[in-house]
Amino acid sequence: MGVLSEELKQRIADEFPKYPEKRAVLLTALHFIQAEHDGWIPPGASKEVAELLEIHQIDVEEVISFYSLFHDEPVGKFHIQVCANLSCCLAGARPLIRAFEEKLDIRSGEVTEDGVFSIAEVECLGSCGTAPMLQVNNEPFLENLKPDDVPGILDKLRSRLGEGKR
Amino acid sequence: MSDETAASAPSTMNGRFKKPVKVVIDGREITAEAGHPLLQVALDNGIEIPHYCYHPKLSIDGSCRMCQVKIEKAPKLAIACNTPVTDGMVVDTTCDEVAFARKGVMELLLINHPLDCPICDQAGECYLQDYSFGYGSQESRTSSPRRKGLKRHPIGERVIFDQERCILCRRCVRFTKEISKTDELRVFGIGDKSRIGTTSERPLNNDYSINTADICPVGALLSRDFHHKRRVWFLQEHESVCPSCSNGCNVKLGIYNNEIQRMVPRRNDEVNDTWMCDHGRLNYHFAQDETRVRTPLIRDDAHAAPASGNGAGADVKYATTLDAALEAAAEKLRGAVSVHGGGAIGVLGSPHLTNEDLFRLVQLVNALGTPNFDMIVPVGPADDFLIKPEKAANAAGARALGVKPGDGGKDAQAILEGAKSGELRVLLIVGSADAARVLGETGIKDAVAKLDALIVVDANRSPLTDAATIVLPGLVWAEKDGSFTNHAGRVQRVRQAMEPHADLQPEGALFARLAALFARGSAPAAYDAAATLREIAAGVPAFASIGFDTLGSAGLALQEPGAAGAAEAAAPAQA
Repeated sequence: MGVLSEELKQRIADEFPKYPEKRAVLLTALHFIQAEHDGWIPPGASKEVAELLEIHQIDVEEVISFYSLFHDEPVGKFHIQVCANLSCCLAGARPLIRAFEEKLDIRSGEVTEDGVFSIAEVECLGSCGTAPMLQVNNEPFLENLKPDDVPGILDKLRSRLGEGKR
Repeated sequence: MSDETAASAPSTMNGRFKKPVKVVIDGREITAEAGHPLLQVALDNGIEIPHYCYHPKLSIDGSCRMCQVKIEKAPKLAIACNTPVTDGMVVDTTCDEVAFARKGVMELLLINHPLDCPICDQAGECYLQDYSFGYGSQESRTSSPRRKGLKRHPIGERVIFDQERCILCRRCVRFTKEISKTDELRVFGIGDKSRIGTTSERPLNNDYSINTADICPVGALLSRDFHHKRRVWFLQEHESVCPSCSNGCNVKLGIYNNEIQRMVPRRNDEVNDTWMCDHGRLNYHFAQDETRVRTPLIRDDAHAAPASGNGAGADVKYATTLDAALEAAAEKLRGAVSVHGGGAIGVLGSPHLTNEDLFRLVQLVNALGTPNFDMIVPVGPADDFLIKPEKAANAAGARALGVKPGDGGKDAQAILEGAKSGELRVLLIVGSADAARVLGETGIKDAVAKLDALIVVDANRSPLTDAATIVLPGLVWAEKDGSFTNHAGRVQRVRQAMEPHADLQPEGALFARLAALFARGSAPAAYDAAATLREIAAGVPAFASIGFDTLGSAGLALQEPGAAGAAEAAAPAQA
């Protein structure tokens, strides 16, 4: 049994006609896989994608490692991505990250034991005017934040836990 | 760095000559082929432009930024590697702007580079050291700690990776993509987290993996065989040819204390570009390990009894002098020929010997008057790149010189059969490992029991040297001057890089002396490889234009076999 379902493979194959060559579908395919597998790319998936796109497995792994959007290890249900570039840092991204770390009792780059939250420092998300800011999963930005906002943000996210898959 | 200029085979002379253009580099007007990389044009004309990621045999990456130069009318500095030359281009490689840019590149490359040159194998042939000295700054402007990374990581069976030293030039990545076509290496991560790596399932284990250590401009990828073995500035380097297969990859032998420390490829675009296979590179230990035969030996029952006094005579061999061993061999050969005729002698030559050695062997065989003359060429796995099936350096040379059965003579298989059956009285085997393998343990016993004498000439021990009546020590390729002919008929120089043990002599000298002793003639002139090759050139049309003076570093092709009646007719007739 492969890691990827037949249905998922078919969805990836359906993308082929849109591009000049199969390898161009790689990013789309990885997004599909993450959406189906709790936000990360499970072991074995890169091999199956490589076969599907007729490229080397190492090419797939290279791309996964390059983009902070792709994860080869589990992330939390709510993946909290705090911008740690210049504008946000000047406006207080460090204290913000520290507040999340203290509240969740994990370090940046880690996942809470219950698998609900993870924190990551990411490169510029293009919202310097509203620094410091963050993005949860692929949702709209949360902007102009202060460390005091952290408990409220977490409570709001927790309240959504029953809603099922994101 | 000399391997990076096209001096040995100018690319502008290969018949595909494109439109020539004129460029001016540092005030010098240079004619070049349109479209060639500016960097290569400069290097070919002796103008140094520092660079890390550019390699003449790999695609252009443009990642290191070290080769920036100023081009007139261009808005900003350009990287010379990815700038094709165009007519009228005016380039400045020495102005302050360029010097400032290089200094900046060096500062960033060194910001995380460990200062472990004292224990780094690359030290002494390191681009980072050279360019730091030439173009860098003497001091660091940062005090933050250097990034930590993998040290002494076994990235493959034969290659060690030091992540901290890597400058991410990606030469190794391109090598596995474009040359070995095995795709084990990639750059993982992004920005300052970028790192070279493999997947866990596929380490860097291809047949050409150690070439990545050669092209690594710093000490990030290293040959495990050479790891912490010797500082490179203690090595004396000698040009030679790899002896492990018939491709004849050009190499440099690094010698210290009369031992080979490493073998690295030398650029020859006609043979191996700048590469060689791992097997060939690591197959030099036989030149200096405990299997070397260093003493002439005679097994002699007549001497054995009184000397040992315990009746174990037949199994005892006596170290002797070369003169005595040669005399004894000649006597055995003479005895067999006078009683049974030349046909009672079988001779197996060796495709591992030089052309010069083999020419003297052919002369010896003619003197003996036996048609039973052949060789065993070991074969093994091959690929469509450098690794050839014939696992000997000079099988083609041996064929061109006439190492083959004479009229009605026995081939190698029949010679060994004849030795076992008693049909042959004396067997002379040169280079014995392959014959020993073919004969097997019982075959050797049978042959020794039936033969009057088994004379073995070899540089290394084998079951046959152990069983032989007379052993004459040979030399390995690194101990002699001479030439090999590769699979394509290209004759290439090998040069003496090591002193032979005691007063051992090249096989060519042994054969010449043996021929003289056999004929009870006067001693031959002192053996000289250069003179022998002159004799070959005079006597064998295929070799007509070939001599040490004309071979140079790159070698020369044999004359086409058809052209001059060829080697066939030229090989001295067998009796």
